[in-house]
Amino acid sequence: MDTLFFKFALGGYFFSTLGYVISLLVKRVFVAKISTFILSLAFLLQSISFGFRCVITKQSPVLNIYDALALLAWVMTGAYLAFQLKTKTRILGAFVSPLSFLFMIIASIKLGGRVNLLPVLQGTLVPIHVSLAVTGEALFALASVAGAMYLLQDSLIKKKRAHSLSRLLPSLRDLDRINHLCLLAGFPLLTVGIVLGSLWARSVWGSHWVWEPKQIWTALVWLLYAFLLHQRLALGWRGHKTAWFSILSFLFLLACVLINMFSPSTLHRFV
Amino acid sequence: MEILLIGMNHKTAPVEIREKLSLSSFGDACPLRDIMNIPVIKEAMYLSTCNRVEVLACTSDGEKAKEYLKSFIFRHGNLPPEEMEKCLYVYFNGEAIRHLFRVASSLDSLVMGEPQILGQVKEAYREALKMNATGVILNRLLHHAFSCAKRVRTETAIASNAVSVSYAAVELAKKIFGDLKGKTVLIVGAGDMAELAARHLMKQGVGRFLVTNRTFGRAVELAKNFGGEAFEFFHLPERLAEVDIVLSSTGAAGYIITAPMVAQCLKKRRNRLLFLIDIAVPRDIEPEAGERENVFLYNIDDLQEVVDENLRSRLEEARKAETIIEEEANKHQAWMNSLLAVPTIVSLKEKVAKITKQELEKSSSWLKNLSHDDRKRVEILLDSVVNKIVHDPITTLKEETQENGVTSFIAVARRLFRLD
Repeated sequence: MDTLFFKFALGGYFFSTLGYVISLLVKRVFVAKISTFILSLAFLLQSISFGFRCVITKQSPVLNIYDALALLAWVMTGAYLAFQLKTKTRILGAFVSPLSFLFMIIASIKLGGRVNLLPVLQGTLVPIHVSLAVTGEALFALASVAGAMYLLQDSLIKKKRAHSLSRLLPSLRDLDRINHLCLLAGFPLLTVGIVLGSLWARSVWGSHWVWEPKQIWTALVWLLYAFLLHQRLALGWRGHKTAWFSILSFLFLLACVLINMFSPSTLHRFV
Repeated sequence: MEILLIGMNHKTAPVEIREKLSLSSFGDACPLRDIMNIPVIKEAMYLSTCNRVEVLACTSDGEKAKEYLKSFIFRHGNLPPEEMEKCLYVYFNGEAIRHLFRVASSLDSLVMGEPQILGQVKEAYREALKMNATGVILNRLLHHAFSCAKRVRTETAIASNAVSVSYAAVELAKKIFGDLKGKTVLIVGAGDMAELAARHLMKQGVGRFLVTNRTFGRAVELAKNFGGEAFEFFHLPERLAEVDIVLSSTGAAGYIITAPMVAQCLKKRRNRLLFLIDIAVPRDIEPEAGERENVFLYNIDDLQEVVDENLRSRLEEARKAETIIEEEANKHQAWMNSLLAVPTIVSLKEKVAKITKQELEKSSSWLKNLSHDDRKRVEILLDSVVNKIVHDPITTLKEETQENGVTSFIAVARRLFRLD
């Protein structure tokens, strides 16, 4: 059942992406509204798929890197849909939907295969640690998408081009707020995820910290975001600078994930 | 029944003539009442705005109605008839429908896409309704014009972008701040343009107005207009830190707001976005001020550029609007045509019903031998045969007149069934 709903959700992401592309080409809000509706449907289907997964396998739905990508897509979509309710930022969907679709495609490669967990990864703390960290990272991804849109809109206004593109983009204030809220929500999630991971590490490796590559880069990423959040909250960084910083931080995070995927360490990675 | 539209607009007639025909120059006398007294006119509406005067009428005799209406206009105009003649346009039926739809959709306006005209047409229609001057034909036509205008508005972007400098400034402000509630606007100087832009901003729900001017008295006066606060000119540098939008239009020769001044206030602002609008010539705000992060500076030329761009895109949208209007006008024409066929269809049905009744009466002597139920059955049989026979001619008649506009079929049908 879970794979069936997963496939439905994948289809949903495909059609919503298609819808957003068409809406950008024909510049009709109506088409974008339908796309948003399809995207919400895809989100719902994926939630059901996760639900079945939990019930049937009695395991966390996030066990390997592919699941993690699916979770990434799910969180990003969910967060976007929440923003859609609050602000008029429909165009953000046109960025989020294809990204989610891409993650889902990669996630579908290992669809439905049984996962045999290494004994070291069997424990209730592990899935919570993974889910929280991935959710935090998904929110950072959304923050950087909003940041990229901010920079685009900012430069369009500065260059005095009342371009049709500028008309489609949300206001600077809305984009900055999305960026801010994503950082604000993502950071504690990542923090708690890391703490839980280190607790687990203590019980299996005997130490919170083992100078293992994934631990090191995660710590670096955490420091970057801690710095950014501090600047925002304490020094009132806003707009242009935070947009740049959140994009660069996320690129760093992405690079670390990719390097880690191909590194030989077997201690601390997805199955 | 014919639809006739006669009138003049800003393109065909100078204001000296249009004003003579405007509603206010009639005083208490109602032009529509005079028009309704013309014998051939069945329904009418009088539309008068600052850019146009038009009479829309439904008449039994188009040519006569045209002459009557022309003499009505000549009577009220202040120029010799030959001169007036040149200012007028006259449209019949399809052309009249199309023109009305273009007017209601704001394609015929001085500033294409401006929203007032639809309201003005609706008002004119309400007046006509009040006087019982409209009937089936014009009611349907006007409602169709309103829905056509709505379609144009929603399906094209003809009205979506600012085409005045002051409104362009408001739109930019929204692009930066989202909604303007709770924002603070500073007005520097007391130019008309700044006041206009400030009024637009006020409509958007701006939270607070600050006003400053070299002559303090003038600032106080302006501040009163906006329910704002006036302050002395020399406080400008420090007050800059607390505002979101600056509207500057002084007559000063040099820069009033310099780049260092803006740079200085940024720290105190904690990077809040600042939108500087400079509509003064010579400029009030040093251009370098706009190069800072989170500061956006637009001068009068930049705003004009936005407006020009928007006007160009309106022209493009107008092309889309024309196809919508064409489509809707054709639909309406089809309905008008179907009206033409209605009397013929009615008389055909009446004739057939009469024949059935007569024949049943003729045969009543033997019909009474049948039981009551059987008699009913015979009647039903007869009715259904007759209806089947006339069904196809009626359908064809409807199709040809409504969809293809071939009115000659009506004459043929009347002749074939000897309805006259």
